[in-house]
Amino acid sequence: MGIVVENGGILTTVQDEGRFGYQAYGVSTSGAMDSHSFHIANLLVGNPMTEGALEMTFIGPKLRFTRDNIIAVTGGDLTPMLDGETLPMYQAVLVKAGQNLSFAGARNGCRGYIAFSGGLDIPEVMGSKSTLLRNKLGGLDGRKLEKGDEIAFLAPKTELTRMGERKVPANVYPQKEVVLRVVLGPQDDEFTEKGIRSFFWNSGVITNEFDRMGCRIERDPVEHRGDGNINTDGISLGSIQVPPNGKPIIMLSDRQSTGGYAKIGTVISVDLPKIAQSQPGQRIRFIEVSLELAQSLYIRELNQMKELDEKLNA
Amino acid sequence: MDVKFLIAGDRAVSVEFGKEICLEINEKVRMLEEELKDNPIDGVIEVVPTYCALIVHYHPEVVRYDDLVEALKVSLGSMSSLETKKKIVKEVPIFYGGETGPDLEYCAQLEQISVEELIRRHSEHEYYVYMLGFAPGHPYMARFEEPFSFKRREEPRVKIPARSVVVQQNLSDLIPFEQPCGWNIIGSTPLDICNYDKEEPFLLNAGEWVKHVPITKAEYDQIRRDVEKGTYQVKTYSLEKTAGERRG
Repeated sequence: MGIVVENGGILTTVQDEGRFGYQAYGVSTSGAMDSHSFHIANLLVGNPMTEGALEMTFIGPKLRFTRDNIIAVTGGDLTPMLDGETLPMYQAVLVKAGQNLSFAGARNGCRGYIAFSGGLDIPEVMGSKSTLLRNKLGGLDGRKLEKGDEIAFLAPKTELTRMGERKVPANVYPQKEVVLRVVLGPQDDEFTEKGIRSFFWNSGVITNEFDRMGCRIERDPVEHRGDGNINTDGISLGSIQVPPNGKPIIMLSDRQSTGGYAKIGTVISVDLPKIAQSQPGQRIRFIEVSLELAQSLYIRELNQMKELDEKLNA
Repeated sequence: MDVKFLIAGDRAVSVEFGKEICLEINEKVRMLEEELKDNPIDGVIEVVPTYCALIVHYHPEVVRYDDLVEALKVSLGSMSSLETKKKIVKEVPIFYGGETGPDLEYCAQLEQISVEELIRRHSEHEYYVYMLGFAPGHPYMARFEEPFSFKRREEPRVKIPARSVVVQQNLSDLIPFEQPCGWNIIGSTPLDICNYDKEEPFLLNAGEWVKHVPITKAEYDQIRRDVEKGTYQVKTYSLEKTAGERRG
């Protein structure tokens, strides 16, 4: 076996890199909200960085291990405890059958990841283990983890090479203002010059309407040229759509594949984890960067992951 | 061809063929989609066709933006109108009215025609699947003759059942899963619009045509049983396009 869920926490789901190849049929990609933490968790336990892991939100689950395995907990600090003792984060740890992993509450950030060496025995649906709650698709029967669930390990390990090196410094997330870098487009021409200027000049506040689908921001309305409606078109991860009321919504992992509101810009890939770790009430500000810079930063991030993988798992 | 490349972040670009929702522009979207299927560009993850644009999701570590746009221009130059003479039609049986089509009579009243005439208009002309979106397998369909004049309901419903057939003006959708909806429901189909358990989960593809076929409640129940057993075959055939439909 693997783990038994004693308590599911607020929202704990199985997520991997995402479900690709089905957006043309209206299927959301899903996937880990904070891909950076998710990738690191997998690499620390010797997995391919895209292997399915658990994503937890604010209050983590309580899990009883029924089999030994090496795990790593990354992302927001939800205060992980193993049998009541502090469990170090960003580090590969051997957990024994019979031990209990629990979380005492969010101290920094809000989304955590637990990767299990060898992966979880979760069937792939359309090529992915990711859970899409809205459509009851993938993961554990298309839903969040609940008390009584059991998930088996696929290929658990009790030892890995370079165990002492399997740790990296923890990420720390801003508690006040979150600054997100944005590339303009695809529909920046649907906004007035004043609208675009104010979009970058004035900050906003993250509202409670913030889930895996999107993050709605309260701020002075961003001015459209027209009414903000466009012919429905494709939506990329991090797109900032501005409905007729002028209040932006950042489109996240469970976003619909298409939509009919004008999109002023797109949050750059390397900044998406910052949204995933932010909370309602935090201030949010956008700054414009070039596409070239955004792509260079993304490629650098991928190279860093590749280096970590080679260092630990080659 | 007036084509625009719109930057959709560091991992996607939208290729826009125009601003008008019409067959001519949508067929260009579909032609580029087909071209990229036949001659893929390295680094492209997937493409999503919509009314007027094809969004291309890609790996910038494999192909940077400028190189991708150059490659897409080559694709645009070599894409052919291979499919433009035939149209693929799928028959979708519908039980109109009854408990699962509660707005049928109301729609006929709004249109000031008989229920029979409303069913004729809905089932005689083929509907074109412009795109899929909103929910898995959910088609955005339109017909090009005899549009209804009524629009959405004033009060949207909080929940309507899966497999409902909903209409407004020249549009008709098939609802894959229970959802809120502001359109009028005129019937129900026994077919699954999306079923994750099947090897081919989706009933329809963008660019196909749908012919609604009126059936009785008894036929509906029989087809539903066959669908659940996995023995039902969706009737599919190809037709020559009319002159108007060939313009693209």
